[in-house]
Amino acid sequence: MTGTTAALALLGVALLGVGTVYGAARALRSTSEPLPAGPFESGVEPSEHAVSRFHVRWYTITMLFLAFDMEMVFMYPWTRVISAMGPGAVTEMFVFLAVLVAGVLYAWREGALRWT
Amino acid sequence: MDLTAGALRAVAARPHVLLVATPGGTAARLAAERRLRLDDLPLARTPAEADILLVAGPDRPGLRPAVDRLWQHLPAPRARAHAATPDAIGPALERCRTDLTRPSRVDAGHSSDGDGNGNGNHEGHKGHGDHHDHGGMEMPAGLPMAGTGPDRDGLELDQLHIALGPFLIDWPTGPTVRLTLQGDVIQRAELEEPGEQLGDGGDVPFWAEPWARAAEGERIGIGQAARRRAAAQLDSLGRLLAVAGWAGEATTARRLRDDLLDGAPGAALRPGVRRFARRVGRSRTLYWLTRGLGPLAGSRARAAGVGGPAARADGDVPARYRTWLADVVRDVDRLAETAPLPADEEGPRGRPAGGEWPSAALARLLPDLLEGAELAAARLIVASLDPDPDELAAAARGVTARD
Amino acid sequence: MTETASWWSLPAAPALLLTGAVLAVAGDALLAARDAGRPRTVAAAVRPLLEVVRLLAAQPRRMPAPDRLLWRSGVVTVPVAAVLSVLVVPFGHRAVADLSVGVVWFNAMEVLTWAGLWLAGWGPNAAFSLIGGYRFVAQGLAYELPLMFALISAATGAQSLRVGEIAEAQQGLWFAVWMPVAFVVYLAGVLAFSFLGPFGYPVGRDIASGVLGETSGVDRLLLQAGRWLWLTSGAAMAVPLFLGGGAGPGLPAWAWSALKTLLVLALLVWVLRRLPVLRADRYVELAWVVLVPLSILQALVPALVVLNR
Repeated sequence: MTGTTAALALLGVALLGVGTVYGAARALRSTSEPLPAGPFESGVEPSEHAVSRFHVRWYTITMLFLAFDMEMVFMYPWTRVISAMGPGAVTEMFVFLAVLVAGVLYAWREGALRWT
Repeated sequence: MDLTAGALRAVAARPHVLLVATPGGTAARLAAERRLRLDDLPLARTPAEADILLVAGPDRPGLRPAVDRLWQHLPAPRARAHAATPDAIGPALERCRTDLTRPSRVDAGHSSDGDGNGNGNHEGHKGHGDHHDHGGMEMPAGLPMAGTGPDRDGLELDQLHIALGPFLIDWPTGPTVRLTLQGDVIQRAELEEPGEQLGDGGDVPFWAEPWARAAEGERIGIGQAARRRAAAQLDSLGRLLAVAGWAGEATTARRLRDDLLDGAPGAALRPGVRRFARRVGRSRTLYWLTRGLGPLAGSRARAAGVGGPAARADGDVPARYRTWLADVVRDVDRLAETAPLPADEEGPRGRPAGGEWPSAALARLLPDLLEGAELAAARLIVASLDPDPDELAAAARGVTARD
Repeated sequence: MTETASWWSLPAAPALLLTGAVLAVAGDALLAARDAGRPRTVAAAVRPLLEVVRLLAAQPRRMPAPDRLLWRSGVVTVPVAAVLSVLVVPFGHRAVADLSVGVVWFNAMEVLTWAGLWLAGWGPNAAFSLIGGYRFVAQGLAYELPLMFALISAATGAQSLRVGEIAEAQQGLWFAVWMPVAFVVYLAGVLAFSFLGPFGYPVGRDIASGVLGETSGVDRLLLQAGRWLWLTSGAAMAVPLFLGGGAGPGLPAWAWSALKTLLVLALLVWVLRRLPVLRADRYVELAWVVLVPLSILQALVPALVVLNR
């Protein structure tokens, strides 16, 4: 098996499993008529739809995260070529990381890592 | 063998129980919690998860519509029962489990207190807005979309309105705090007093009983009151630790509480209580997670009419749970004292003042402490003050004499 | 010499994963029984499995105006991604496919749970559920980077992204011994992407189970199974990454793999009940200010060692 074939086959097996579980529920459950239910809000009627533009107060952290995440894209292939590239590769990578960490410390000092 | 019948038996073997303790029902709640713990029947947190709806405590007409709404949202197979007294819990659960195995009548209802309110009015799933599915683009399912409001930074952002209480796991049943949230930060909190909708004032609160009886002239030993107070504070600690998500120690607190109420001798309890107090009190993780939450200066607490551990702690959530722990350790050392209860001994939540039980003042403090807090922090703050629903519902009679 | 196994590994790998997850659930049930003062018997250990039948027998529920498609895809993503992650995890010397980018594959599958759990929180159109979904994203922002640096530390030590080669590179000394920070951070990451125990923030008791709150029946079963499958998969991956894979005296390689996996799994299950939930509003700060710099320094150690080899 090549990697792609194996991955697709395993996906097939997993989806087959999920399908079997849904099928089993169809056979086992006492009634298939769905129960008209509502969201649980501590026993109180909801006053509006929950889906909304949720105000994530940690949005500044997502910016920091993206910076590091892009860096990871370089770091995975970098692991394979350290010996080949020599000390330069290590220096460059960790200087780059140090710059990013300096950014994190600045954000921390500015209070970006707390939101309450 | 019929497949479905076998499946129903499996459901009845380990059903999840949605436990609703009505105000005044502490004794029944304690019996139910012990029973569920020993029989390994998990507590459900929402109707979606539950198979059995068990109402423990006296019938409160004001809460009936809300209980019925919970029941409507339980998927079949399901069963419900009402147990007014601790003794009724066991039989009620047994009947529910039998009902679960019956495929024909999955909507079984029971009322073990004989007034028949468990049955009947939950037929016909008249949900909320399910009939308005064709209500047009603006009001899908008959509900408006979230509106916007100014943020603390002056931005116009979506607001969500949710309620904590009346029914929420590890929440004092009854009081409802209505929250306006932006993201998961609370902008505004309003306390809805359960007030007269609960019906009559009810009996003396379970936890404050020894003090009330002493006030009426009965001879109560220090040990007897200390036992009740330690159990009450372990109950509060169990709730706080459960809200904090510390499953192991929350269970320990509740086991120790049940052992105390069973009348276990002090010598047998002491090592366990001390180990528990050491683990929780010295936990750096719990301290780091809760420090700075809900600061309440002693002077501000007393000005609001709060006495007891919340005022003595004079600080944030860790200060309050450490005060409870110290109280519990001290009380467990005094279980054998038989001298009569002195008049200046305070109950688990302080002394009644101004004609009301101490929990009323605790509940009034909540909105101020919750505004600006994150939702999880708000739950911890409420659990660290832990107003007693029994005290909120009960009339402050018989105790004012001791002021 | 990890080799790609033949077709029979396709059903065998998920089956082994499921077995591990069942053992983890049973172990957790025994610990819960001990805490609650119930007898610790075989019956107590297998009782939680009744949950499978209970959930299969449940009536479906219909929420007002749910986002059915996104809800269902989120729910299915979590367990399916867990199964896909074991593609690259060797059992002894055999993996379903020892990809040249195995570590990245595992990482990618784990990140799929971000989408899955957020969608599962969004779908039912319920406030607590929605808050739970966003909680997982906040938690992800905290645990993900230290976890990635931990994975990279192991990959750097072996100068390979192939999981089999990483296991072989530990012939002399386990990475767990000379990269302890990476090992611990990795284990914390496993708990976090399984959203269990101290990282159960998105399904917290304080918000009435959050993402799980409105799920019932098969959907709930799949999400719950996904958590324990992920815990098992994470424990199994720890073995080739940090504990020398199938290497060991006396026993065959597959037995060592199984034994080490179960030990890591036991450790993780034990931790579940021993810590309070680490709320993201506190954990984010710790993760960025302490764990990220520490795990970067940890990644520097194997880089320097490899240079001087």
